[in-house]
Amino acid sequence: MHTLKKRELPSNILRYVLLLLGGAVSIMPMIYMISTSLKPNGALYEFPPKFFPALDTITIENYVYIFSQEKFYINFLNSVIVAVLTVVIAAFVSSALAFCLARFRFPGRKALFALVIGTMIIPGTTLIITQYQLASFFKLTNKLLGLVPFYVAWVIPFSTFMIKGYIESIPREFDEAVYMDGGSVFTVFFKVICPLASPAIASVSIFNFLTAWEEFPWALTVLNDTQKRTLPIAISGFFGQHQFTQWGYVFAMSVASLLPVLIIFICCQKYFVSGLQTGGIKG
Amino acid sequence: MELKSKRDRLQVGLLLLPGLLVFALFTIYPIVKLLYMSFLQWDLGSMLHQKFIGLQNYIDVLSDETFRIAFANTLLYTLVTVPGQMILGLLAAVLINAIPRFRVTFRVIYYIPVITSWVIVSLIFRYIFNTEGMLNYVLTNVLHLTVSNIRWLDSRWGGLTVAMMLGIWKGVGWNLVVFLAALQSVPQELYESAGIDGCGAFQKFFYVTLPSIKPTILFALVMLTIGGFNVFTSIKMITGGKPMHQTETVLTWMYYKAFNTGSFGYAAALSFVVAVTLIFLAVLQFRAMKQKDAANS
Repeated sequence: MHTLKKRELPSNILRYVLLLLGGAVSIMPMIYMISTSLKPNGALYEFPPKFFPALDTITIENYVYIFSQEKFYINFLNSVIVAVLTVVIAAFVSSALAFCLARFRFPGRKALFALVIGTMIIPGTTLIITQYQLASFFKLTNKLLGLVPFYVAWVIPFSTFMIKGYIESIPREFDEAVYMDGGSVFTVFFKVICPLASPAIASVSIFNFLTAWEEFPWALTVLNDTQKRTLPIAISGFFGQHQFTQWGYVFAMSVASLLPVLIIFICCQKYFVSGLQTGGIKG
Repeated sequence: MELKSKRDRLQVGLLLLPGLLVFALFTIYPIVKLLYMSFLQWDLGSMLHQKFIGLQNYIDVLSDETFRIAFANTLLYTLVTVPGQMILGLLAAVLINAIPRFRVTFRVIYYIPVITSWVIVSLIFRYIFNTEGMLNYVLTNVLHLTVSNIRWLDSRWGGLTVAMMLGIWKGVGWNLVVFLAALQSVPQELYESAGIDGCGAFQKFFYVTLPSIKPTILFALVMLTIGGFNVFTSIKMITGGKPMHQTETVLTWMYYKAFNTGSFGYAAALSFVVAVTLIFLAVLQFRAMKQKDAANS
């Protein structure tokens, strides 16, 4: 292979050029958002539009405004609460379901798995009417915590499917050893399966966090009070508030809401990839 | 395994219970209720006396001109964005798989649009494609490709073009990561023996790579088709269905009928038309892949 290196060089240069081009397209709108958030609010729809603000006009006034609003912190906290609760509950519920489906034969097991897979096909938004009726019946509308059971229900199929695939790759001998020692189903689940399946649970949890963090149609439909809104609704509300959208504020808030996701993404890189890997191969 | 003791059976039941409860109550029940509702006359005027009207809602949906536009828009969106994302994602994956350095850096950069929420990216695109926005400035004043600014967001095709570009741009990174994982699991020996047989890079790609990653292609195809029919937030934020409901998709139109006009029975029937279409497409995709399998072996 090493003798080919000289011939490889030109084609590698072509590869890097193409990848840089694609990378630029991927990242440019994001950079434009950040640069717009750093322009003075009056200079929006300037002519000619500038990709970067002139150095002496860079300002953090949009951020100062956003961070001076109590509403922002409430919306931010709302999003954190909803996302964390969704992730924790979904992780437990889906792992337990996946474990039972992967390891035991019980009546209706096949039907249950078929239902889980089948519901993945139906777009969540199509159920919004009857879910809304259900939410009103349980007095969950216009309540922050009312979002959580619906988010959990949405992510269960995909999470269960992914975790089940991973659990099936764990040798049954681990379970058997515990049963031989007189351990119970609970012992196997909590002491063996959960720790061993933690990479799959982690990847699924990251996706679930993203889902809950960015969910829009449901939160838009059931939450009315500004105090109860999550970030996506607050951002979209900012957008529609005035006839002339204050793009500086909109993008400053967008950047602020993107930061936690970016941090999680960069810290948990390997779980993003391993989660998709199992999905791709098993699917 | 078979459960021997009563205690173990009880514990399996306890582990199943929360998931079953949430799933049955918040997913299965709404589906069944929606199906029931789709056969009823159920709108703001008839809240108290819902009447069984058979397939009337379905007839209304299928004969509704706006639904046809919305359905055609959704189909177009799916037909353009699904292959668009897959081809670009696979191309990027093949390139990244072949380079010696900066693989992780490129993966991270391409994945950033994926993790950014739909509300945010839709607003960015709306800003870029605004009539007085950056793109028009570049097209008109810098490149002189157009005489006057294009009113992207004021027409059916303009609005859909922006939404489709957004869909592809946001989706490439997901495809890249999925395909990169698949590429790395293709056995190296296959390439070596193909090389001995005198295959060039392109032949290797078509005769070794593509057949080996077929399960991943099918997985991506099914997931992305569902995603394509799910398009909602971007349309709502970018065009809001304007002008005159010309850029509605099936879900934005369903939402409008349910929450703006209160036609719940109609919206329920619409939901089932969408669900049945998706199930049909998924079965079709599985069949097509299986047939190709049979033809190859």
